[in-house]
Amino acid sequence: MKKIIVSGFITGCILFVVSYGGLYLAVRYFPSLFTEYFNPLFNSDGSRDVLFYLHAFIFSFALSWFWDRFKTMFKGVFILRGIEFGLVYSVIALLPVMWISFSALDITVAMVSSWFIYGLIQATVAGMVFAKLNP
Amino acid sequence: MLYRNILWATAVLLTSFAKPVETKKWLISESSSLSVNGTTNINKFTCDIPAYDQTDTLMLSRRNKEIILSGDIRLKIQSFDCHNSMMTHDLRKTLKEKEFPRLHIRFLSLSEYPELTAKPATITGFVDIELAGASKRFQVNYQVSIDAQKNIHLLGSQDINFSDFNLIPPRKLGGMIKTNDKLSVAFHLKMKALN
Repeated sequence: MKKIIVSGFITGCILFVVSYGGLYLAVRYFPSLFTEYFNPLFNSDGSRDVLFYLHAFIFSFALSWFWDRFKTMFKGVFILRGIEFGLVYSVIALLPVMWISFSALDITVAMVSSWFIYGLIQATVAGMVFAKLNP
Repeated sequence: MLYRNILWATAVLLTSFAKPVETKKWLISESSSLSVNGTTNINKFTCDIPAYDQTDTLMLSRRNKEIILSGDIRLKIQSFDCHNSMMTHDLRKTLKEKEFPRLHIRFLSLSEYPELTAKPATITGFVDIELAGASKRFQVNYQVSIDAQKNIHLLGSQDINFSDFNLIPPRKLGGMIKTNDKLSVAFHLKMKALN
């Protein structure tokens, strides 16, 4: 349990920097990709900002438990284990969620695709960190 | 008490003799428009109300040195078009369209009596702008002119802030994408003189 929490917290910190740093750079250098976010679907009064920034930790603790439960199934060097872990998470969790989101919400393919890629990168990075911290 | 009564009576007498020198009535045409320009940290946007859906009049009168421009326009927030359906919906939501469906501009005064010529004259004037349930007074820069068809053109422009009306500029993704507080409002009233 301690390993799950410690590796979850450390991974959360790393994901926080990677995710929001990446998002900041993407907004700065590819602004046209983000114009679609001026949409009433997205919270605009700042009341949920804390929840938004906590996402990296919610994500890392959930994946930390998942890694601990199934880590023996991911073989090879830490990079390969991370990539496989990211792909498994993306196919099992992300793809169905993106599918239902696109079918139900007024959002574009580009937006859903970017969320999928964002989640895949996050899970892959998390998998690599878990492979090092909790092999 | 006696002095106060005398002063009061004098003031009433003076105002009753100070009749408006001239009063003009201008009918606002449907082709009048309003546009709002704003910026975000990723783009610029323009939202327009391309036509005025009501028949209203403005009254211009002169009382001593004071130039009074009275009348108001009430614009539907729903008429705003930001040329991007999502952004249009977002602006309407930000302006609390469901609770306050109209933007209200109340004209109050002009700095000088406008001489109507083909060459636009630059003057200023005060207006009250009521938006999302909050009202604020602004000094607006005007350009007034008249064309060959006797249409009077009153172009007004003024920078306002979302915060002037207790509104929060839209911000998305934890503030990574944010709209700047300042908005530039410009309106173009096309009018016909009724007298």
